[in-house]
Amino acid sequence: MEHSPGNPLSAEPEIETSHAEEFVEELRRVTDTLPSRINVDSQSVEQGLAKLVLTLIEFIRRLLEKQAVRRMEGGDLSPEQIEELGLALMRLEAKLQDLKTQFGLADEELNLDLGPVGRLI
Amino acid sequence: MSFYVYCVVDPIDSLPDETLKGLGQQEVSLLRLAELAVIVSEFAGNTVPVSEANVIAHQKVIRSLLEVTTPLPFRFGTLVSESQLNSYLSSRQPALLQKLDDLRGCVEMSVKVIWPTSERPRTVNSEDQHLGSGTAFLAAKKEEIVGDATIASKANELLAWLNSHLDNLIRDEQVTLRPRERLVLAAAHLLERERLPAYKNGLAMARAERAGLHFLLSGPWPPYSFTNIDLEFKSKFGVN
Amino acid sequence: MSSPFEQVVLQSDFDELETSELSLLETLDHVLNRGLVIAGEITISVADIDLIFLGLNVLVSSVETAQEVLRERERRESVGGTERLHTER
Repeated sequence: MEHSPGNPLSAEPEIETSHAEEFVEELRRVTDTLPSRINVDSQSVEQGLAKLVLTLIEFIRRLLEKQAVRRMEGGDLSPEQIEELGLALMRLEAKLQDLKTQFGLADEELNLDLGPVGRLI
Repeated sequence: MSFYVYCVVDPIDSLPDETLKGLGQQEVSLLRLAELAVIVSEFAGNTVPVSEANVIAHQKVIRSLLEVTTPLPFRFGTLVSESQLNSYLSSRQPALLQKLDDLRGCVEMSVKVIWPTSERPRTVNSEDQHLGSGTAFLAAKKEEIVGDATIASKANELLAWLNSHLDNLIRDEQVTLRPRERLVLAAAHLLERERLPAYKNGLAMARAERAGLHFLLSGPWPPYSFTNIDLEFKSKFGVN
Repeated sequence: MSSPFEQVVLQSDFDELETSELSLLETLDHVLNRGLVIAGEITISVADIDLIFLGLNVLVSSVETAQEVLRERERRESVGGTERLHTER
């Protein structure tokens, strides 16, 4: 027997915190932002697909923004180009927001869990 | 006949608590299959309702095993026939035996940290800016990106600081960092049970050092977070 | 000065509810989404709706089911004191 009887564990896992209320709130929020179920009926299948597609677009959109900022900082864009780029990205962000609203998706819902590699966004 | 499966265990002669019931008040038994020992109970029905009673029953059974052996918990809701179980166990036998070796004598402790608004580095949200022009938009985005990088590095710093207090005590960890959230850090720590007192001391010192952070400690738990025996990629692939 | 690892002192019924809800949330956090998986052979249902594991090991589920557990609890508690479920300690 590998377990020494001289080291008994308490009967229940202890929970220790001075901020129970806060943690209840935060843990509930975490549970709220996790996946909606994928159901077999067609409406939900659409929903699931919309989510996947929007997640990928959102990912790319963020990459584009980062790259645009990098270019802007890099100094190889004219003021007019910066303005055009900014406007286009602004519209893209607004468009994506519309789509999220149309499909009833919250910001936190657009993500892909890649396991140990982490989340996509 | 379906079995509800709780965990694989290091072989033991008998259950620690013969009176403890499983889901649906069913009797819990020890099965030997493929040279491994599994804890099961009979289950009527094809699906496992996710109810408070079932979740608690699941945890209690596995927890009771932690007293006397090493449990490898199954995911909540695992229902199989005996032949399915047998085939799973035989095909995974070497990995399961290895995992039992790895986890022997260990427990899981959980640490969660909230950094209240005052402790969090300020971030700039581009949506708050007056977006009159494309240039202003990009300028604001730049601030946001820089801000994100700052909090991400603060979060990593927090993790490193926490680990410095637990040096050598932890065998393994599973950490989720959410730099933009209040619940910035959720860590599962695998440690040998003899190290528990030293671990708790380490945490007590950490808490005293940074009183601005809010901690939640729980445990000891069975090693739920450390049972991954599949290829890294295959194990958890979810669409959020 | 109390030891840092004594449980939070229960001052009122409200605190007790909160502590046990916290205990439930922490338990949910540990038993759902973790553990050995026998792929494709797990079915969890909520409110009579089957949540089916797809072949890709896409995990449907567990957190919406956590919400369901919490809602069930709230429903029970709002029914009145006599109905309140005490988690065993």
